[in-house]
Amino acid sequence: MLRKPQLSVEHMVEDVSTIHSLPLFYSQLSEAIDHPRSSIGDIAKIIAEDQGLTARILKLANSPLFGYFSKIDTITQAVTIIGVLQVRDLALALSVMDVFKGIPEDLVNMEQFWKHSIATGLASRLLATSQRESNLERFFVAGILHDVGRLVMYVKVPQLCLELLEQCRATGSLLHRAERERLGFDHAEVGCALLKRWKIPPRVAEPVGTHHDSRKGDQYPREGGILHFADVIAHALQIGNSGEVFVPELDQGVWDRLQISSFYLPTLVKQVDDTYEQTVSALFGGDDAAR
Amino acid sequence: MVHIDNLTPGMVLSRNVCDRSGRMLLPAGAELTEKHFSIFRMWGVLEVEVAGDAIVEDAETAAPLSQEIDPELLAEARAEMERLFIYNDPEHPAIKELMRICTERRATRAA
Repeated sequence: MLRKPQLSVEHMVEDVSTIHSLPLFYSQLSEAIDHPRSSIGDIAKIIAEDQGLTARILKLANSPLFGYFSKIDTITQAVTIIGVLQVRDLALALSVMDVFKGIPEDLVNMEQFWKHSIATGLASRLLATSQRESNLERFFVAGILHDVGRLVMYVKVPQLCLELLEQCRATGSLLHRAERERLGFDHAEVGCALLKRWKIPPRVAEPVGTHHDSRKGDQYPREGGILHFADVIAHALQIGNSGEVFVPELDQGVWDRLQISSFYLPTLVKQVDDTYEQTVSALFGGDDAAR
Repeated sequence: MVHIDNLTPGMVLSRNVCDRSGRMLLPAGAELTEKHFSIFRMWGVLEVEVAGDAIVEDAETAAPLSQEIDPELLAEARAEMERLFIYNDPEHPAIKELMRICTERRATRAA
């Protein structure tokens, strides 16, 4: 097999960031949020310009994920109740889901890919809740985006990805390890590089980059650890698939740091199962999702 | 500690129940009712300490292997989990519990 030493993480995301750019409105949204004189109304107005996104955010806000009793039917309300940063994080996840389209089916089934991502997002958010973390949506978003580097690789080096997938199927090895052996880096690092290029805050980008190797992160070790374990759980539950056939190896260091009781796991799995369907329908829902 | 799913009305708290920020929700000695369970859930309380032998009972119910599941389906599901978890230590507490939950979950769904 040919080694291609010229491939680097940076090379992977070089043109991808121009071909697959985040919609302009996301940067407008970020700018408005960061501006000290923006009001909730200003922010809601920017989101409301994208009808599809508005509908999906409202549907998510009304889903059991948030557990509010009264109906949220305007973006202003959603921003007020869920919080500005949380709504931005949701908008980010939804925008990225729209960016990657048209990758050949023999490489990845996009529906399966996002299902695995959503399950990881839900598990990550629930784990973060149990760890008493604040601003939970960043965990949900990191979960949804954790394998986005794979999509970049499918776009950039499809033939190599196909070879890796076939190699893993034949030898029964872990895909992320095969990536590392062949390229010297894995999809997690590619994902992190893409998110950084898109100027996504490090609190989301770094955990994405370290979800298979928690020793690499320095700023957000808790987030990286939670994401790592959430990925393990999503694989164990066999919800969707992003290419990996097996449950990735659980990092003992992460488990020690998390201090989660294994008695919490049945509750966690039940909660993922209970919220999964509605979350999928909120994120993929058509125009009828407007209400 | 007894998990919230294993609590029954009438149990008596042996220790104060506090929420994440440390605010007390219910004092030690209080008798639990259904209403308390939803309050606990609402404030993210997963485990509480109760008086008496409820703890022993909890340990027994912690690993209920449903008898209604077809043993054949269960064996199939277990084999599938062993394949899936090949890169993990099956004796690790978290992995062991995840494998147990997922085996039952898969077998129940296949039924």
